Amino acid sequence: MDESAAPILEVANVTKRFGKFTAVNDVSFKIADGEFFTLVGPSGSGKTTLLRMLVGMEKPTTGELRLRGKIINDLAPNLRPTCMVFQSLALFPHMTVGKNVEFPLAIRGARESERRTRAWELLKLLHLDPNRYYDKNVTQCSGGERQRVALARALAYDPEILFFDEPLSALDARLRKTLQKELKDIQRSTKKTFCYVTHSLEEAMVMSDRVAILRSGVIEQIGQPDEIYASPKNAFVAEFMGEVNLLDIIASGDTAALWDTGRKPISLTLPAPLEAGTKRKLLVRPESLRFVSPGETAGNTVPVRILNQFSLGSRIQYHVEVTPGCTLTVERLREERSAAGADAVLGWDLADSQILES
Amino acid sequence: MSGALPVIPPKSRLLERVPGLIGALSASPFALLMLFGFVAPLLCVVWFGFMPSKTFSLLQAPTLENYETIFNQTYFKSILWSLGLASVTVLILLVICFPLAFAMAKIFKGVASFITYAIATSLFVSENIRLFGWVIGFMKNGVVGGTLAKVFDVQVDSLLYNIPVIILGMVYVYLPFMLFPLVLGVKMVPDQVREAAFDLGASRWQVFKKIDLPLSMPGVMIGSLLVFVLSVGAISEAKILGGQKVVTIASDIESEFTYAQNWPLGSALSTMFIALTTVVVFFALGRFDLEKLLGKKPAE
Repeated sequence: MDESAAPILEVANVTKRFGKFTAVNDVSFKIADGEFFTLVGPSGSGKTTLLRMLVGMEKPTTGELRLRGKIINDLAPNLRPTCMVFQSLALFPHMTVGKNVEFPLAIRGARESERRTRAWELLKLLHLDPNRYYDKNVTQCSGGERQRVALARALAYDPEILFFDEPLSALDARLRKTLQKELKDIQRSTKKTFCYVTHSLEEAMVMSDRVAILRSGVIEQIGQPDEIYASPKNAFVAEFMGEVNLLDIIASGDTAALWDTGRKPISLTLPAPLEAGTKRKLLVRPESLRFVSPGETAGNTVPVRILNQFSLGSRIQYHVEVTPGCTLTVERLREERSAAGADAVLGWDLADSQILES
Repeated sequence: MSGALPVIPPKSRLLERVPGLIGALSASPFALLMLFGFVAPLLCVVWFGFMPSKTFSLLQAPTLENYETIFNQTYFKSILWSLGLASVTVLILLVICFPLAFAMAKIFKGVASFITYAIATSLFVSENIRLFGWVIGFMKNGVVGGTLAKVFDVQVDSLLYNIPVIILGMVYVYLPFMLFPLVLGVKMVPDQVREAAFDLGASRWQVFKKIDLPLSMPGVMIGSLLVFVLSVGAISEAKILGGQKVVTIASDIESEFTYAQNWPLGSALSTMFIALTTVVVFFALGRFDLEKLLGKKPAE
């Protein structure tokens, strides 16, 4: 985190238990003013519970939530200067787009003309032509339009922090990508603090300044997207980032190790020495793997058979078999194409692999 | 969407007509029942209202003398009593039932179905029997009076035969007809929509006024209409608990057909009352467009 910026929200040792089940376990982090912060985790990781505590719909069992230094544990959602965009969007179905956006202003008792001007501005900001949409019923809007109305309504509340509970998950991939970029633009232009929750690390990577990865109610890693990508703390984080190869290894002294492929073990060289007998995972990214032609050298080489190849546009993805049941994923540029069904030798440089705890 | 649509072979004309035929055939028993059991008697009643007073034939020259009688005498009083009692019942039931419906739809889990069974079971007992039970409770030295006298040494006269006890009886009898539609109405309000309003700064009262009430309006309307239509024609509560302290229009109509043996006047009163109720109900339905409330139709 940029230490010069004062934290707007501080989560200090927060735990939430439902009966005997601990949904969030002693979590601490800080969100800086104006930051785009994302909580990522698979379902059941406690990310939604954590979010509900941050907006005030659940109370922490222990720990403190501090907004600009003030403890807000017991402050009701309607009294908090924060606002959430729900997964279901939760638009008011009996109101027009305009009335939805004006809702928080009407609650505050703003004058009709003032409400209308603000709603008009916000609809424009979100690329919804106010002339067409102001009087439209929200139930007639498309998925993308409804997203924008929900965001406009939340911005009309003028919150200090805007929370998002996976609002984009119901949209198709293309629209989701467009809206991700728009969301980032709006965050930048409004200079608001955004706190986003998602199960997709890819989504988090696109938008966020910082990402926190949750597993079973505990934060596994927290940092900038690039940091996490470059040095994942453990195999869970690495796996969560998408298709990676994680090899089960047992160190056999110094940098030598055996790879447990299920059939016969294969000896490998590790990027760093490891005490003999320790079990670890070796991370090798698909793009770090390459087919080695005879005479060429690499840190590690393994004979493989190419099972399948898929086109990813500019790249080709190969599924290769080391031993029956043990496959690796390789990604190469299109021009370095190899034929499927052929035997090949796969290799990678030592610097491109990382030893991780599982 | 692209791609070829499957080619549908042209249907034969008979095939096209068969579903319609089957539909018409299966609807006909009900249509006949409604025709002979509802429409025909209703038309008879309307026509009987135009027959000369105290006669028993439909085959006479029509006259307006019954309607003249109605307007010259004090029947409007019983009509007002009926409308008034029904309106008060609806209002009281709305106030009582909304919190209970909210609790049953959103808060109680297993208890909600117990309450549903308990209330539905009370409907198994005839309304008159239940009302006579109340009479035993409220009469002089009855359950309530007797208990007060024995335990607290307070002497009370009969608690029956007044307007509050009539309203109490009506509220009690028609409670299920308000409660169940309200439960369905409240269930239609999504939790996240309520939470969103709260999160956007609305107080509990504002959430109720701006979210809960408008979104559960279909249930409110259906419950209110059911209770209004049923209670405006109520007769037993005023008779049994009210002891004819108040004469409702339904009991006026009954006495014309029985004691007075004046069928034409009874028919004219019925016709007028049906017309009045219809106007009130349609006025209410027109003011609250159900489809618009349900969000199926855009706002004009």
